[in-house]
Amino acid sequence: MLATVKALFRPAAHSEEHEDPAEHLLLDARPRGEMNDMVMDSMHATSWKFWTVTMFLILTVLVCLVTAWGYMIAEGLGVAGVNQPEYWGIFLVNTVFWIGISHAGTFVSALLRVLKAEFRRPFTRAAELMTTFGLIQAGLSIFMHLGRVWLVYWMVPYPNERGLWPDFHSPLMWDFLAISTYLLASTMYLFLPLIPDLAMARDHSTGWRKIFYRILSMGFRGSESEWTHLKTAMNIFAFAILPVMFSVHTIVAWDFAMAIRPGWSSTIFGPYFVVGALHSGLAAVTMVLFIISRTMKNMKYFIRPEHFDGLGKLMLMITMTWGYFFFNDYIVEWYGGDTIARTLQKFLETGPLAWMFFLMLICNFAIPILTLWNKKLRRTPWVMFVIGLIINIGMWLERYIIIPGSLSINRMPFTWRIYFPRVEVFLTIGTFALFLLLYMLASRLIPLVPVWEVQEGQLAHSLSKFGKTRVATKAEIE
Amino acid sequence: MTDTNTLLALFKDVDPAAEAVERLRSMGVRDNQVDIISGIPLLETALGRPKKHTNVARLALGGAGAGFLLGLFLAYGTPYLFTVHVGGQPVYPIPPGIILVFEMAMLGLMGTAFLGVFLESNFPAYHPLKYIPEVSDGKIAVLFECPALEQEKFVQAMQALGAESVGTVEARQL
Amino acid sequence: MTSSIFQTSAEVEGKWGMLIDQDLCMGCQACVTACAMENNLSFVGEADAGYGRGMAWIRTERFWNGTYPNISTGYQPMLCQQCGHAPCEPVCPVFASVHSESEQTNVQVYNRCIGTRYCANNCPYQVREFNWLDFPRPVPLNNQFNPDVTVRRRGVMEKCTFCIQRIRRVEDLAHSENRDVLDGEVQPACAQACPASAIVFGRIDDPNSQVSRLAHNNRGYIMLEELGTLPRVTYLKGGSGHAGNS
Repeated sequence: MLATVKALFRPAAHSEEHEDPAEHLLLDARPRGEMNDMVMDSMHATSWKFWTVTMFLILTVLVCLVTAWGYMIAEGLGVAGVNQPEYWGIFLVNTVFWIGISHAGTFVSALLRVLKAEFRRPFTRAAELMTTFGLIQAGLSIFMHLGRVWLVYWMVPYPNERGLWPDFHSPLMWDFLAISTYLLASTMYLFLPLIPDLAMARDHSTGWRKIFYRILSMGFRGSESEWTHLKTAMNIFAFAILPVMFSVHTIVAWDFAMAIRPGWSSTIFGPYFVVGALHSGLAAVTMVLFIISRTMKNMKYFIRPEHFDGLGKLMLMITMTWGYFFFNDYIVEWYGGDTIARTLQKFLETGPLAWMFFLMLICNFAIPILTLWNKKLRRTPWVMFVIGLIINIGMWLERYIIIPGSLSINRMPFTWRIYFPRVEVFLTIGTFALFLLLYMLASRLIPLVPVWEVQEGQLAHSLSKFGKTRVATKAEIE
Repeated sequence: MTDTNTLLALFKDVDPAAEAVERLRSMGVRDNQVDIISGIPLLETALGRPKKHTNVARLALGGAGAGFLLGLFLAYGTPYLFTVHVGGQPVYPIPPGIILVFEMAMLGLMGTAFLGVFLESNFPAYHPLKYIPEVSDGKIAVLFECPALEQEKFVQAMQALGAESVGTVEARQL
Repeated sequence: MTSSIFQTSAEVEGKWGMLIDQDLCMGCQACVTACAMENNLSFVGEADAGYGRGMAWIRTERFWNGTYPNISTGYQPMLCQQCGHAPCEPVCPVFASVHSESEQTNVQVYNRCIGTRYCANNCPYQVREFNWLDFPRPVPLNNQFNPDVTVRRRGVMEKCTFCIQRIRRVEDLAHSENRDVLDGEVQPACAQACPASAIVFGRIDDPNSQVSRLAHNNRGYIMLEELGTLPRVTYLKGGSGHAGNS
């Protein structure tokens, strides 16, 4: 362990990257058939460990999510910890957290595709799955917080015999439309590049799997016209889903910014939340990639230190951006002298939640900034997993500070109160368990690596002589 | 009208496949009688093929327009149908309307791009299709129509260029 | 009076309004009790009330002024201000919190509420109450329901309505007798119960009504006026001339 730590802090040799070209996935090409077999193999290989974890997760979901939520629906929200003035508690924290996680998929898949960052190729699907499953948890969390959840369909604008429509003045309605749009769009964007891989899986499967993949791949063969239609749609999606991604978390931020509460009514909340979402999302992608590469067969070939390195650089940039937006929000209220806003700041820094406030700053800013500049650390997957976990804890605490934390202080001092979660704890655990469960099941049903994109990248990359050394070159064959 | 057979020649790489396409053209096979099936998208120009036309972008634009109109209806049509006064805000608010119009336009854009792929490719296609599973292992299949009487000539030409296998292909259940 | 380009003058000026004289209020909470009886409020119990689950539509806030031994208490009855520019209205996704055109008050539509609680978060006066649970009524109070007012179940928001059932009853009576409503004829439960007559209710668009005349007192102030919510409640608090929260 000590040797590993020592090795982490030795300065990296500059020629390291050029020493071993086979270290790069896109320069370490294997025959497509072999890569196909590796991916199919990792789907089929289910050990007793897999089933134990799956059973445990199913149990957790049944107890912590289904039973606890059923109990809450039957009894009422009084069994949760929300009260006056914290009408919104951990349910909203979870909602914002999961939507933040879901931004990672789109960021990795769409933005990196638009910017032609080649290192994205092996993990776009793993990230996109996080988006869809994260949005499901966000949807569940927002349903949980409703007082009469069985009437949630009234938020859908449909013609009815009373002629009633929902109120589009409300940020919650913008939220509803934006999150629905994002969920549909990201699921479609997950599915489009998946079709060729489903076709590959169809060709390599027998039995019930073959029927399953045959139905899902819809007769895709890979003919010229099919590829043309697919690539055109994927390009449209890559560009179009980016503004949707930015708008979704901005609209979620506006749930808070449109309110006239101190600490909430901040004009910078829009971009602040978007950057926060990217922060926790990228950290979550790193965590997921570490788990996939360590627990699934053959994934070590596809997910390499270079990917953690690329993600780590992005995370460093986003950390600095997050710090910038946080400080912007903070100093404006600190300087402005509005009594109630300053009272809230003092409460957060010196009150009972002060430990949370400073832990958040340490986890979100201090630790990433102190570690992610180091290339050796970025290229060590378990270190990146730990940093990712720390960032996610910090971002969850940030949302806690913003939602139930800030709600404690308002303009009526007689109503100031502290929030203590009750059944929310179980429901939070339940949503995490459901996310992991969905992901584990998906990893056995859906090829996690887009092999055709990896092969495309490998065909485009080659080593060529540049002076005394050999460098990677990329051909524009798309 | 001579009888035509559909042949499938399987190649391992782009170069022999491109040469095969050129040879077929010189042997009188028209461009629209040739199809390429591959495991990754290949640049049409890499194989000397004409660019394929797709309507997906146009459909997507139409969908964006439909979404735009839907957003306008939700923001300004629904308050007209059932007017409720709230909080001193205008009944037909502009900033919330912009948000709604944007979201619905993007949904329309992406939704129709997605459905456009299905429509243009005739998905789902569960009937028998001309296919060879080796394609998903990275091989390139050149599908072409040739006169039945000259089949041997074409087979030999493809094999001379390095085809792994050449033969007639029947539509099969995928 | 501030005006807004998006509102009618009736919406800005208001119709029914209230005046609360904090100098007369002694914190006896008769108003709280009367309101609970009139409007079928739930009894939440001590533990839940201590955790902020209290259902009181009007609450008497008690503030300590000064330091020992020169301490005085100030009492501030706080109820829904029926804002003309209500922040709780536009944020409800299902139009459960809307403005009543005929009374110019803010009305909560219990049947439409799905319990998002955004309105409660956005109320700067924190006067909205949520039905966290279905609380059983202790015997014999389970026999004492006001038939003019509905009973709300768990999951919906509720708040002071200026006793709209009493307003409607008096207006119906006056209409059937072919006369106008007299000033002081409509008495919400809190105004009726206050032993100090600290709560006055009436038409604030009528300059001759008692509430309008008293509101022009130089002790009068609007709670959280800087927010521009246009409340219909005027507070009287005098002596050293400090306005706003104590």
